[in-house]
Amino acid sequence: MEIVKIIGIGLVSLILIVIIKQYKPEFALYVSLGAGIIIILMVLDKLLGIIQLLTTLSQKAGINATYLSILLKITGIAILTEFGVSICKDAGETAVANKIEFGGKIIIISISIPIISALLEVIMQLIP
Amino acid sequence: MEIDLLFKIAAIGILVAVLHQVLVRAGREDQAMMTTLAGLIIVLSMVIKEISALFNSVRTIFNL
Repeated sequence: MEIVKIIGIGLVSLILIVIIKQYKPEFALYVSLGAGIIIILMVLDKLLGIIQLLTTLSQKAGINATYLSILLKITGIAILTEFGVSICKDAGETAVANKIEFGGKIIIISISIPIISALLEVIMQLIP
Repeated sequence: MEIDLLFKIAAIGILVAVLHQVLVRAGREDQAMMTTLAGLIIVLSMVIKEISALFNSVRTIFNL
């Protein structure tokens, strides 16, 4: 049932954008920004349930909690970066979008350094 | 709360466009620019409130 609301909001914002684009193009950008924010906010609550399931499963499987929290951080950063990149691309500013993407990648890599080092240690132990 | 934000932004956009045309026809270009700026600032404040709500909820969910 939730999906109908999401599609409804998307279509309504599409209609509004097409109307406003003739008169004031910059307001069309704000309507698309608002629609993106509303849809993400609606879906975020469902994400909470998924994350709780992930944490309980990882505790059962005995996975280290820090790795899961790093993974969650990376997912959050990815969502926000993708949000910013798509808005910039919509407005036609691909240069800014690429800079945002580049920044997001660097932050994700810098956050996942512990995982990479742990992985290398495991590999080193495997090699006799 | 959700959908009427879009309608508010669209209404302000159309209002500003109409006011701009009317003022330009009346020969007051500077006031036309003022109303456009005012509309822009109103819409920006609404959108920025939404953006901060989005960032806060993402931060709390993913404990960034």
